[in-house]
Amino acid sequence: MKEVIVHPERCVGCMQCMLACAAAHSKTGTLISAISESPRPGPRIHVGAGLYNEGFPNRCRHCNPAPCQMACLPGAIYRQTTTNTVLINPDVCINCASCAMACPYGVIRYHADPLAPAGKTIAVKCDNCIARQHKGLIPACVEVCKTGALTFEEMDAAMKKKTDQVARSICAEAVPADNAPGFSLLNTIKRAQKEINLSR
Amino acid sequence: MHYVIIGNGVAGVTAAEAIRQIDARGQITMISDETHPPYCRPMISNLLEGAVDVSRLPIRGPDFYDRLSITPALGSRVTSMDINADTVTTQNGRTFPYDRLLIAAGADPRPVDAQGMDLDGIFFMRNIAQVQDMIAALADTRHALVLGGGLVGFKAAYSLLKRNIAVTMLIRSGYPLSMQVDETAGEMIQQVLCDHGLTVRTGISATAFEGNGRVQSAHLSDGSQIPCEMAIIGKGVFPAHGFVPADRIDTDAGILVDDHMATSAPGIYAAGDVAEHIDIARQKRWVNAIWPEAAAQGRVAGFNMAGQALAYRGSLSRNVMRMFDTDVMTAGRVSPRDTDETCRFFSAHDPRRGTYRRLVFEDQILAGFVMINQIEQGGVLTSLIQSRTPVKISAQHLLDPGFNVSRLIGR
Ligand SMILES: Cc1cc2nc3c(=O)[nH]c(=O)nc-3n(C[C@H](O)[C@H](O)[C@H](O)COP(=O)(O)OP(=O)(O)OC[C@H]3O[C@@H](n4cnc5c(N)ncnc54)[C@H](O)[C@@H]3O)c2cc1C
Ligand code: SF4
Ligand code: SF4
Repeated sequence: MKEVIVHPERCVGCMQCMLACAAAHSKTGTLISAISESPRPGPRIHVGAGLYNEGFPNRCRHCNPAPCQMACLPGAIYRQTTTNTVLINPDVCINCASCAMACPYGVIRYHADPLAPAGKTIAVKCDNCIARQHKGLIPACVEVCKTGALTFEEMDAAMKKKTDQVARSICAEAVPADNAPGFSLLNTIKRAQKEINLSR
Repeated sequence: MHYVIIGNGVAGVTAAEAIRQIDARGQITMISDETHPPYCRPMISNLLEGAVDVSRLPIRGPDFYDRLSITPALGSRVTSMDINADTVTTQNGRTFPYDRLLIAAGADPRPVDAQGMDLDGIFFMRNIAQVQDMIAALADTRHALVLGGGLVGFKAAYSLLKRNIAVTMLIRSGYPLSMQVDETAGEMIQQVLCDHGLTVRTGISATAFEGNGRVQSAHLSDGSQIPCEMAIIGKGVFPAHGFVPADRIDTDAGILVDDHMATSAPGIYAAGDVAEHIDIARQKRWVNAIWPEAAAQGRVAGFNMAGQALAYRGSLSRNVMRMFDTDVMTAGRVSPRDTDETCRFFSAHDPRRGTYRRLVFEDQILAGFVMINQIEQGGVLTSLIQSRTPVKISAQHLLDPGFNVSRLIGR
């Protein structure tokens, strides 16, 4: 299964992915007409300044287990296993921001959205462009990124192993006897921080 | 294998789901005195507000018990346990044998010491039934009194204000949310609610309620009297382990559990609001009665009960609250009760934007924070507390509302 992979060191901060993302999640689907839509579609990827003012494309990592899913009060957050995507059901979301407190990447925003019930403020984040993927397209941010900071590829075994190793190496205190999924929540958090650290 | 789970709250539910991930065949019995399908307890305040009806509260589909082959035993409370015989017994006389037992009984509201508590119109706010009774009493309510300036008190006050009822909140301490936030944040929060019509009185409590069947007024500790046709008690909760034999299972405030959510008695586990584990920020035993920890603990308990070793990382007190157009997020040690001279404090207040942030450090470890507005990235700070990662960049970066995660951990 292909996944979006972020390579922060390649980002030049051009923010094209933000525009492409907003357009992809608009009603009309194109940038020109999306700007005049109400509510205005918002980006679900956020390019902020890094430590040295370089760009840093920040998007949902579809963590497993996902801290946001565990924290969601009404159970609006779920995983679509076929695409390994963590999704928010806009009908169920009550805009309580419990997930904001849980996400170690800080990638969830709260606003009315063209794809949500009219007038309802909800939690909005990356959905891996599953609608585009259904049509055989790749996620919009990856399509538009010209520097290779966002790629869509098989998360191969070697790569997974590397990430897991990283997580484990900085998580030495995590009760080694229990090489078990409970700590994976902590690993998710550690991984977030390690990844950020690796960006330099 | 026969699993018995006491409580069908989120801790019990996530435990049952974890058990079923590993053990498809074991028998699961879930006992609860509440007969509603598992529901979102925090949302009872939305119910009181009138924003949702009961049909929106369930956290799982209507086929929850069937889908997981759970035998529900609803409508009666567990009143006793026999640890030698490995059984629990409910009030209606049914006895349930178990091989593995999970106590996920949650918490009960803390009562107040005031006269006239048996009058109609005085409510606790912990479950759907209580809120439905409140809603039925709203029609003849013009003034309501909320006792307690904690999270539940605020949610109750907010919901009643939305129903156009005049609300007075009585807080024993000097400012609201004093367990969670510092004074500056507490006063900002109070101001928001006052701007929307709430009356807040600090340093005061109710000593007696008066009325003819239904409450009509309250006597306060300063000798004054105040009219009220409704009073809501929001003085916190205490773990609901009254039926647990304290001489056989170690209990403190809550039922003591180890990293596997196991109690001191073999085969018996506890999770959620009833359990006491380690608080990450305080580094000591603590009951953190909040939803995300109940969900996480239930999951860990379930895996361990089914034989899959799994450790829990400790809990962290935290909360987020949205009131009118103000958002408040707080985690770890922020209240003056929880901090001392070994802590370093950093704060930033921007009255024009209505933002406030305060960070509490213990050496280089973030131990707590409170944020008012622009809370979207608060999870980054929460996870810093949880991982106890030394923060190597200037705290000023963290105070900047526009910070991005990548600024966080310098070299
Ligand atoms: C109004 C309100 C707002 C809240 N808002 C938030 C919030 O915004 N964020 C947050 O994190 N948390 C919030 N909480 C706290 C949150 O609801 C709890 O932490 C969570 O529900 C705990 O889950 P639990 O499964 O441990 O216990 P519970 O949800 O209390 O479930 C326990 C169940 O067991 C039953 N039971 C108890 N004793 C027995 C017995 N002896 N025999 C049989 N059954 C028994 C109870 O009736 C109950 O149904 C709020 C709580 C309230 C009341
Ligand atoms: S915690 Fe954050 S990054 Fe992880 S799945 Fe949830 S929203 Fe995505
Ligand atoms: S804001 Fe929505 S998605 Fe986030 S925790 Fe609350 S209900 Fe769940």
